[in-house]
Amino acid sequence: MSRTTPGGRDARAAVIAALLFVLSIALLPMGAYVAIAFSWFVVITAGAYVGISPLRLARRGGIALPFVLAAIPVIFLRTDELLWSGAIGPLSLSISGAGLRIALTAVLKAWVSVQASIVLITYADAPTIVTALRRMKLPDAIATSAGLTIRYLELLRDEARRMLRARTARSASPVGTGRERIGGSISWRARTTGNLVGSLFLRAYSRAQRIEEAATSRGATGSLSIGTLPVADPRLTIKVIGVLALVLSLTLAGALLPRL
Amino acid sequence: MHLPDGFLAPQLALALWLLTAVIVGIALRRLAASRDTAGAAGRPILMGLVGAFIFAAQMFNFPVAAGTSGHLLGGVLAGYLLGPWASTIVMTTVIGVQALLFQDGGLLALGANIFNMGIIGTLGGTLFARALALTLGNGRSARIGAAGVAGWLSVMAGAGVTTLELGLSGTTNVSVGLPAMLSVHALIGVGEALITIAALTFIATTAPDLLGERSTVQHSILRRAVAGFGATFVVIGLATLFASTNPDGLNSVAQALGFSHFQAGAPFKLFAGYAIPGLNGTASTIIAALIGAVAIAGLLFGLSRLAASQSDKR
Repeated sequence: MSRTTPGGRDARAAVIAALLFVLSIALLPMGAYVAIAFSWFVVITAGAYVGISPLRLARRGGIALPFVLAAIPVIFLRTDELLWSGAIGPLSLSISGAGLRIALTAVLKAWVSVQASIVLITYADAPTIVTALRRMKLPDAIATSAGLTIRYLELLRDEARRMLRARTARSASPVGTGRERIGGSISWRARTTGNLVGSLFLRAYSRAQRIEEAATSRGATGSLSIGTLPVADPRLTIKVIGVLALVLSLTLAGALLPRL
Repeated sequence: MHLPDGFLAPQLALALWLLTAVIVGIALRRLAASRDTAGAAGRPILMGLVGAFIFAAQMFNFPVAAGTSGHLLGGVLAGYLLGPWASTIVMTTVIGVQALLFQDGGLLALGANIFNMGIIGTLGGTLFARALALTLGNGRSARIGAAGVAGWLSVMAGAGVTTLELGLSGTTNVSVGLPAMLSVHALIGVGEALITIAALTFIATTAPDLLGERSTVQHSILRRAVAGFGATFVVIGLATLFASTNPDGLNSVAQALGFSHFQAGAPFKLFAGYAIPGLNGTASTIIAALIGAVAIAGLLFGLSRLAASQSDKR
């Protein structure tokens, strides 16, 4: 699968596939670990086809795992299917099987879903996806704004990095603790950071003005088409039907395969 | 605060997608209607650049206490720079790009994330700040102070609503999760408020015309009273909502909406236990597990090779 220039490929089928796939994972019932494993195999197979190994995909999928913190209370606070209850010191604790199932299912679903979106962004780069969304009737204001945000993202992040480095060089971050700390009080540090934010905005604003002047002088009217729309994928319908079949079989697998 | 996929009940995720689409649709119409007259708000290139700016500004943080740092989400700041409708579109874009490029937040949960941060945090926060500033006389310090209060409130409201959504989906216990989330975000909100105030003060001093500083017209007492009433209503409404959240009530709502059936058991099972037909007992389970492990290892190895060869071709 060779990469083409940004916007040079019709990624509609991939976008639809990723969205429907994530929806089908969300529809899997609690405790459907076998079906989740099945969907994971689908993701890693697709990942391998776009050139990411399962291990790398699994590692990068870990980005969603800290959210498990949100699900921890249900493990201890639900009172159904008690697996263990007892006291640790003055605390009386119980572990609910149902709560454990809810937490584990949510984490696994999140983990597989994140990998699905990583596969999507590896298959088609961000401008290509925006172009596909534009073809799928994403409003022009959002598409233009998203395209420009993506285009100028790294530039402004670089600018922010330079400003942060300058701030560090001027000792606005604390070194040591207590009296050794330098760089003023919290409000002083917040003001320094706020000044950086304000100054970054002014730079972004003046850049926007320069781009606007350049665009206007070339006859732009307000809607900025990001890249040319690619030739439509002739096999889009077949691909979408295939995706629907896959999603349906996943949902069926969720209903039929054993749950724990 | 970016919800990943898997933690929200799919019905709730889809309902929030729909609600978000409707409100973003309204924002787009308002923006199109004001495009001819508005200055900054109607400029698509500026909107794109402000999107990239919000991304970059989120990198700025400052140490608050050991281990924690204050940083910016930028909803209310964007609202002050572009107006409520254009900033809603910009934050929608930013949250979408975060999900797409950095997997920060899920694709199905994107509707919920835009609702929590882009609509409640940005649109709600900016309208609240305007009402509060109007009540306080709409002078420069009133406007900037109101932005700080709205910044803090937008973080708290976003965190609270996120927890309620998780509670409705059955993935968290609201009576424990809500106080925990709100107490953490009370600190994060202070960072948001301080940076928003400092950034707006800087911009107001350096380039006052960008914030519409000229429009310090005196508003009527009636208008100020209505704005004050609206702002108070929002605060009291949010406080009541979060203070009186009853997990049992939430569970009954979840049941009424049909979310709880996702926790129901299987209607029937294809494979009873993990056993090899014809073999019984522990040996059967061990052999089945071994075959499974070898199959999975083989598959992973094969896919890794495939990935390497595909990657070489590029």
